[in-house]
Amino acid sequence: MDRSGELLPGTFEMLVLKGVSLGDMHGWGIADRIERLSGGVCDVQQGTVYPVLQRLLRRGWVVAEWRVTENQRRARYYRLTAAGRRQLADEISWWHRAIGGVDRVLRAEPREA
Amino acid sequence: MSWLHAARQRLRDLFAGERSDRELAEEIAHHLELETERQMREGLDRAAARAVAYVRFGNPTTITDAARAERGSLLTEGSVQDLSWAVRSLRKNLGFTALSLLTLVLGIGACTVAFSVFNTVLLRPLPYRDADRLVFIRERTSRGELRPPSFPNFASWREQTQSFAGVAAAMHPYSRTVSVSNDAEPARLVSLEITRRFFSTLGIGMALGREFTDAEHAPGRSRVAMVSYEFWQKQMGARQPLGIIRLGDDPTPVVGVLPPGFTFLQPADIYLPHEGHTGTVRSSHNYQVVARLKPGATLAGARAEMTALSRSLKAVYGTETEAVDTDVRPLRDFVVANYRTLLSIIFAAAALVLLIACTNLVSAQLARGWHREREIIVRAALGASRARIARQLIVESVLLVISGTVLAVLVAYAAVTGIKQVGGALVPRLSELSLDARVLGFAVGVAALTALIVGIYPAFRLSRRDAGQVLRAGRGGSSVRSSVWRALIGFEVALAVVLVIGSALLVRTLRNILSAETGFDSHGVVTAAITPAESDTARFGEVVTALRALPGVEGVAFTSNLPLQWGNWSGPVRRPSDPTDRDWPAMAGFRVVSPDYFTVLRQPLLRGRAFMPSDRVGAPGVAIITPGIAEKLWPGQDPIGKRIATNYLFNDWLTVVGVAAEASSWSMPHGTQNEIYVPLDQRPGSVGQQLIAVLRTAGGPDAVMAATRAKLRAIIPHSPAQVGTIDDRIAQSAADRRFGMLALTAFGVIAIILAAVGIYGVMWYIVSTRTHEIGIRMALGATAARVRQDVLSSAAAMAATGIVLGLAAGAYATRYLQASLYGVSRLDPRIYLLGTGITLGIAVIAAYVPAWHSSRVDPMEAIRDT
Repeated sequence: MDRSGELLPGTFEMLVLKGVSLGDMHGWGIADRIERLSGGVCDVQQGTVYPVLQRLLRRGWVVAEWRVTENQRRARYYRLTAAGRRQLADEISWWHRAIGGVDRVLRAEPREA
Repeated sequence: MSWLHAARQRLRDLFAGERSDRELAEEIAHHLELETERQMREGLDRAAARAVAYVRFGNPTTITDAARAERGSLLTEGSVQDLSWAVRSLRKNLGFTALSLLTLVLGIGACTVAFSVFNTVLLRPLPYRDADRLVFIRERTSRGELRPPSFPNFASWREQTQSFAGVAAAMHPYSRTVSVSNDAEPARLVSLEITRRFFSTLGIGMALGREFTDAEHAPGRSRVAMVSYEFWQKQMGARQPLGIIRLGDDPTPVVGVLPPGFTFLQPADIYLPHEGHTGTVRSSHNYQVVARLKPGATLAGARAEMTALSRSLKAVYGTETEAVDTDVRPLRDFVVANYRTLLSIIFAAAALVLLIACTNLVSAQLARGWHREREIIVRAALGASRARIARQLIVESVLLVISGTVLAVLVAYAAVTGIKQVGGALVPRLSELSLDARVLGFAVGVAALTALIVGIYPAFRLSRRDAGQVLRAGRGGSSVRSSVWRALIGFEVALAVVLVIGSALLVRTLRNILSAETGFDSHGVVTAAITPAESDTARFGEVVTALRALPGVEGVAFTSNLPLQWGNWSGPVRRPSDPTDRDWPAMAGFRVVSPDYFTVLRQPLLRGRAFMPSDRVGAPGVAIITPGIAEKLWPGQDPIGKRIATNYLFNDWLTVVGVAAEASSWSMPHGTQNEIYVPLDQRPGSVGQQLIAVLRTAGGPDAVMAATRAKLRAIIPHSPAQVGTIDDRIAQSAADRRFGMLALTAFGVIAIILAAVGIYGVMWYIVSTRTHEIGIRMALGATAARVRQDVLSSAAAMAATGIVLGLAAGAYATRYLQASLYGVSRLDPRIYLLGTGITLGIAVIAAYVPAWHSSRVDPMEAIRDT
């Protein structure tokens, strides 16, 4: 069954937020983090991080600034704000609740119904 | 302080959209570079690494659009952003945008123009003060015919009614020779004689000077005149004081100038007081009567009063009057009576064109939606809600419709200017045509409706997709079902068929009218109307000799009124045995002609003899009649030698010496246009204000017309001739049909073009969604010709459904056209066959390019592509 690229709506935004929270990073780095950390499961097109970053910027959950990388190139780095950190915590606890619920349903035995 | 930050970000985005775009572009470039480097570390060469980086990144344009869409959308709940997204999207697809705009301009423009005509002619009040209080009054005869009243009847109405604030009459306009000063060239102009207080009854104020006083109407007074504003401006050089003009030989002071654009029923240049020399025969029919209802009086009340008065007049005057009742109706109903149905049909036709345009736009949006699917999916996957996507699609449609409407109104403005020039002579009141507030309001309403139809359905359909479904199913899976296409195409083809049938019926009608049997040979007959003075009578011989000598002229005769002009002079006819206290048994037109008249017109003499030189003043009175009179008065008997009397000749007894074929115009049934002909040499005093020379020409009439004008000017310098052809007048008498034909044909052509564009677009779409399937078929051995044929026949099949529907709808809708048709059945199978042929042909032609494209599919590429 080919399910590459499928994500529950809204989860990608959470992953990007998490990606930024692991340390100030540019777009490619964030996409790379998500891909590596998910073991290739969350293998979406890398470009899609940029619209999400724009939305996070707009909501004030991240800020961006241009810096020079170790290779002496200009890159735009994103950093989590305090509001972003709260939002991420909220989303993570929502995710665990949701996953837990789904998981309980999936583990259910016939007699429990 | 995240809200502060967010606000700053939004402000920055608002003022620095371009900078953000630059920043994003730089980010993406940096991203692609980093990914390329990583792929190179994995062992790829630079080119391959770059390619992989692009694949992993996705389409930069789509990403940029999506990122842009995310920016600042909280600021205005997205509407400014939706708008800029829509503008970008329309600019990116110039072909689609241009075609959609063209469709909108044709659809909305056609509707706006049709409505402005409808509005001007039928809805707007006549350009008189409180015009809805004006009524038009005619006599009703015992045969139920409505006829213009006689002067004595009009005078009785004026004196004896209570319902009206004013009753006034005008004669039929006729042309006169006028010079604006003693040494100016005389010109032939249209004059209208009117009764007292005519203009105050209509509610018209003068632009300059005053209306005639009652004293100026009195018998024996020397004449005064009023002139139209246009005449005063152009011919009189807007001079003040107004001074004196010459009517024929009589110096006539001008006392007033009418307001610009004034007309009553027909345009006239000069208005003259009439009461001094009115008609005296109660049974003649030659006045147009208008009346203004008194404040508080109702139309029903006025009708009742007029009916009662007619009955009492009939009781007093017996056979002297033909009126047993009167017809009283609002003046506007009379003016536009013949045009109500026709203009409603034209308006309906325009509505059909608009529907076709909407259908096209809907199908174009749907087809384009398929190409935009990726874009929509990415946006949906990034969390844009279905409502948000739908809203953006609607904003795009609305933007399209608004731009289309603005263009359509501009085009309509130009069209209205053109129609005013062409149609002014064809339809009454069309010279008043303009785009007023009501028309603009209408255009806005139509645009709103269009936006609703075009925006909502596709937006609903396209936003309904979900990403997973599309990605799983591959490209073709979400294509719009073929039943939707068949319905859309069928619908617009059906509408086009209806319009083609309607316009074909009117084209046929017009052709029938122009070739209608007239009872004589009208082709190549030139007429020249002159206003002879007393002194000219002696020179008629000279005129005949001069005209006959013109190259191309085969014969010359004279008549008192234009051929086929029946009814201006008409009245009852009786036998010696008919009692004078009952209605006379027959009606006939009255015509004074020279002996050669029948020969020159090639109007056959069925019995008896033509007029001879011996039929002169003092000899026994003779007449030639048409068969209808003979059948009514002496059924089954030979009319030659019988005696008749008509009120035009003060009831002198005339002996019938011949029977001539009836000369009839198409507009009245054959058998109803009976005439009595009397010889000019015997009745020179019975000719009216003008005499008409008829010239039989060989070859084109144009050269003869110019030569005739010049020759008459040389012989009778004080009275320029009014020269024309009978065929032109026949064409003019079908002006309403001509206008209807032009309008329906224009809309029919637009409908066909739009249907062709629609079919082309849909077939193109279907072919491009089926590339894969076509590739497989060709790989399995289908020939290009075969593939092409399949596409063409599927287009024909779609059109066929529409054609069947259209033929049925046409058979129903043409009933409203019935009254305008002449010599063709509204269900004429040839017309319906023509409609079928044209539409089917257009459908196949429109499908040909997509079909050809489909047969060029490379099987290998098509299969690999998916």
